[in-house]
Amino acid sequence: MRLTCPFCGSRGLEEFTYRGDATVRRPSADASQEAWVDYVYLRDNPCGPHRELWYHGAGCRSWLVVTRDTRTHQILDVRNARDVMLAERMSPEGKGEGS
Amino acid sequence: MADLLSATLPVVSDPVTVGGVTLELVPPTSIVSLGAFAGAGRDELVGRVRAEFGVDLPDVSRAVRSSYGNVAFLWNGPTQWLVVGEDSGELFSRLQKCCGDVCALTSQGDSRTILRLSGMGAREVATRLLPIDLHGQVFSTDCVASTLAGHIPVIVWQTAQTPAYDFLVFRSFASSLFHDLSVALNGHTFSETDHYA
Ligand SMILES: [Zn+2]
Repeated sequence: MRLTCPFCGSRGLEEFTYRGDATVRRPSADASQEAWVDYVYLRDNPCGPHRELWYHGAGCRSWLVVTRDTRTHQILDVRNARDVMLAERMSPEGKGEGS
Repeated sequence: MADLLSATLPVVSDPVTVGGVTLELVPPTSIVSLGAFAGAGRDELVGRVRAEFGVDLPDVSRAVRSSYGNVAFLWNGPTQWLVVGEDSGELFSRLQKCCGDVCALTSQGDSRTILRLSGMGAREVATRLLPIDLHGQVFSTDCVASTLAGHIPVIVWQTAQTPAYDFLVFRSFASSLFHDLSVALNGHTFSETDHYA
């Protein structure tokens, strides 16, 4: 599998580290216990396109949001995680702290 | 009073030349990392460096050379650069005056060592270890890449058309990388040149 880093170009998997689900968002400090349990422990296991966090540790050391089809490993999109976060904060639904 | 550690070279092997390609340790160099502070730090840093060194910090994976002193600025990640220059304290203090308040300045001279591979055929040798495309159409003079040489993290900088490549490698890996490159230089055989410490 190869990932196309927005900064470094097409690189082999050995340069990256998988971090986890990129769709979870930290609940507010006063959220219910259920919301926190969900955030800390519960993950979906989707069949199809999924957004994941990858770290380009052997390259530019950027965090990336990768959209990967879990059935085929086809990579549909790679973005700088910082840009994804900033865009989310600007959007009307943008909420949650520290996400 | 504490005993000072005696200075030793990171690689003790003499330069190796095989088939017109030479592998050698580059004499000690000043290397300083710049990490722009969040917010306006990046734009401010770019302006300060332009005023002091007459160059724009690259925003793609390249090196730019300043004609004001023998100094090069290497892209090393978003909002991060490495400054490579002559071995003296002068570069660091010059940078400190120029931009010390808008970025994190860290001396990397004791962290990184530079190995140089040069001569016709250097690309073929480098390709044996590097997983990136070094073809002249996509990687030419002053292109820079952070990647892996085998299992060793390196920053590769093509410094001349010849071609010549500088490998910026962590000091403790320099001897291993020198060994790996000398093996690559000799094809796939072990030889008498394999006398690294
Ligand atoms: Zn990268």
